Amino acid sequence: MHGISWRKRSSQAGLSLLLLCAVGLAGCTQGASSVQESQALAASHPRDELVLAVGTEPEGGFDPTTGWGQYGSPLFQSTLLKRDAKLHLVNDLATDHSVSEDGLTWTISLRDDVKFSDGEPLTAEDVKFTFETAASSGSVIDLTNMAEVQAPDSTTVVFTLKSPQSTFISILTTLGIVPEHAYGSDYAEHPVGSGPYKLVQWDKGQQAIVEANEQYYGQKSAFRKLTFLYLDEDAAFAAAQAGSVDIAAIPAAFSKQEVSGMTLESVKTVDNRGIMFPMQPAGGTSADGFPAGNDVTSDLAIRQAVNVAIDRNALVEGVLEGHGRPAYSVSDDLPWGNPEAVFADADVQEAQRILTAGGWTDTDGDGVVEKNGMDAEFNLLYFAGDLTRQSIALAAADMAAQAGIKINVEGKSREETKKQAYANAVLFGWGSHDPLETYNLYSSTHKGEGYYNVGLYSNPAVDSWMQQALQATSEGEALPFWQKAEWDGTTGFSYQGDAPWAWLVNIDHLYLVKDGLNIGEQQIHPHGHGWPVTSNLEEWSWDDNSK
Amino acid sequence: MTGILEWGRFVGVKLLRLLSLLAGVSVVAFILMQFSPVDPIEAYIGGDMIRVSAEQRSLIEERWGLNDPPAQRLFNWGQALLQGDLGTSMIYRQPVADIIQERFLNSVALMAVAWILSGLIGFSLGVVAAMKRESLLDRLICWYCYTLASTPVFWMALLLLMLFGVWLGWLPVGLGVPAGMAADQVTWTDRAIHMVLPALTLSLTGVAAIALHTRQKLLDVLDSDYILFARARGERGVQLFRRHGFRHVVLPALTLQFASFSELFGGAVLAEQVFSYPGLGQATVQAGLRGDVPLLLGLVLCSTIFVFTGNLLADILYRFIDPRMKEELLT
Repeated sequence: MHGISWRKRSSQAGLSLLLLCAVGLAGCTQGASSVQESQALAASHPRDELVLAVGTEPEGGFDPTTGWGQYGSPLFQSTLLKRDAKLHLVNDLATDHSVSEDGLTWTISLRDDVKFSDGEPLTAEDVKFTFETAASSGSVIDLTNMAEVQAPDSTTVVFTLKSPQSTFISILTTLGIVPEHAYGSDYAEHPVGSGPYKLVQWDKGQQAIVEANEQYYGQKSAFRKLTFLYLDEDAAFAAAQAGSVDIAAIPAAFSKQEVSGMTLESVKTVDNRGIMFPMQPAGGTSADGFPAGNDVTSDLAIRQAVNVAIDRNALVEGVLEGHGRPAYSVSDDLPWGNPEAVFADADVQEAQRILTAGGWTDTDGDGVVEKNGMDAEFNLLYFAGDLTRQSIALAAADMAAQAGIKINVEGKSREETKKQAYANAVLFGWGSHDPLETYNLYSSTHKGEGYYNVGLYSNPAVDSWMQQALQATSEGEALPFWQKAEWDGTTGFSYQGDAPWAWLVNIDHLYLVKDGLNIGEQQIHPHGHGWPVTSNLEEWSWDDNSK
Repeated sequence: MTGILEWGRFVGVKLLRLLSLLAGVSVVAFILMQFSPVDPIEAYIGGDMIRVSAEQRSLIEERWGLNDPPAQRLFNWGQALLQGDLGTSMIYRQPVADIIQERFLNSVALMAVAWILSGLIGFSLGVVAAMKRESLLDRLICWYCYTLASTPVFWMALLLLMLFGVWLGWLPVGLGVPAGMAADQVTWTDRAIHMVLPALTLSLTGVAAIALHTRQKLLDVLDSDYILFARARGERGVQLFRRHGFRHVVLPALTLQFASFSELFGGAVLAEQVFSYPGLGQATVQAGLRGDVPLLLGLVLCSTIFVFTGNLLADILYRFIDPRMKEELLT
């Protein structure tokens, strides 16, 4: 007999299984890739069908009240409002909306001709039901500021807020309306909605097959059937190589490889990366008791010098293979971003001038400037394992060194970063279609909450501008306030003002698109990996001579 | 009569052992999850972090019972489990039992095919190698086994995928069913074709251990006195093996084969991930990476029972194949 003891074996097996699982996890995160169908199957699909590999599976299903559709379009459901290619608000289910003087009461009028895919009409009661369900679901939909929602008649919905919030409109553009009569515990798997498509089949872990909704009231898409394959990025690339998908999202690392029959399309984003600086002097503690503050980065001259010394175009070319654009704020090119926040960078001399004016000089000749005997040296943390962030951080540190600032780049786990972020600079990424993000990042109300404003930035003037923006009764009215919070001519959170961040790059989202397929004018995509590319499906078409 | 009593005792002991094992494994798994650096709330919120206020965060915590102390959570989970409720998965928002059932059906087919293949091929290779000791064939088989034994499953999977899926284009390179095909049009042939590569991966790596063990055991047998005696009587080749070798090597082979249930499960986790195959493995990876405690505990229980069953089957088979084992087993 070989030496396995009979009695111990079953318990050993149980433990070794746990270990195996752990090993398995480690192995899988190292880019185990997968591909999908063989060429023969997909090359022959008809002209009004598409196969897409553009995002990860929404495991929780297709229920908007628990988070489906937060990025990109909910597809099966429609929203009250939506944003067009320029991110301007347009009506969808709503025909009109108004906000009371005090910003607390929002009244929405609805179309009266909308039907769900099962033929039942969509009424104000369904909207009320949707918002109430979402508010109580304990999911990522944050409706904590909504006091109540009422439906006085079948085409009118009235929201009452606890405090004024002009960004409430973002929820109206993202929360898909579900039917009260057809909503149950299995809704996420069998969604019924009023959107352009209806779900035909969901093979979990593999694909979703959708077909055009005959009842849809809006502009019909040219495609009758869509198949979404749930493949990770390198698998999607292999699928594209095999010629079996019409559009595939890929990471920048693959962008240099030609794929025959497909064209690479770069979509502009606000998927940004930037350096967050601790704004307080060292010695404090955060709400959770972690050390907070940093004597070097709390000096405005250091933050501005880092900002101006960095050559953002070089980062785009060198790290992102050209697939990106410089970032000067958290909301570049978004309606609430301030175009004046852009400045001339890659200017080492200007950086040195700022440092000198701020009292930082290199007296001991080691290439690093000092002030009161303290070297201009600090740590920059990034999430270990993220190669793009690592490269950006290292390159940025090199650029800052030319101006005499020493940045030590360190990769840390998310948990470790969370503990150290209050006292060290961190490379973070943000970018949302919701100005509420700006508020969360810069408002003193959110100092030290989760990852929001971990630098503990606080400026009463900025707070006041943002408060006015929130209290505005329309997004149009709020926009100038958001912009003034960034830079109002004397202060703000831009480079010219307090410079609590050094924004570096916006990362393009890349798609391999089959030759001849036209994906319309894309919005500026937000951060993350939803399906924003499908938000304008009705504009997609084949060029006439293709296929 | 004594036979029934004996069996009753056998089953009782095994059952007790299983229960204590399940309790132990779930506590260990739960503790490991507590030490895991994954913050379940953050993993749950994911990319939507910026839109979720602190107030909403605490609502999520409350919804999933995450603000209870760990001991309390484990207790609640155990209590619900005793009433047959495995809980609800955070990421799939479905009862854990449903997810496991659905995934298990996919995985079990895959694992069964791989298990049978690796058993038959491995045993045959081991026998051939031993019977042709020191020949070129023997050395070839050994070389092949050592190479396989040192090959990580996912790497093997990637190689097969590149060769048959991308370069040759003979086989689909992922998913359990054809892309874009309605469920009622999917045939058994389609499913079988989609299973070929993951099953091949799993069985290839399972072959090495059983082949090498069988070879070694058979070599020991061949060196024994009674084989010498049999040879002296003129027995050769197949006849010699069938009369004197088979019974001696089939037992260790069976043991090993049933004990390999844990490797099989672990391998399936990797193979399924590579081939986007929707089985238990894929669910395990998701549960681990995103801190979905109820789902992971459910999967741990399920896999423990699976592995335990493998060992139990081996024990029972032994009693039928080799009566001498009865006494030993019941101690």
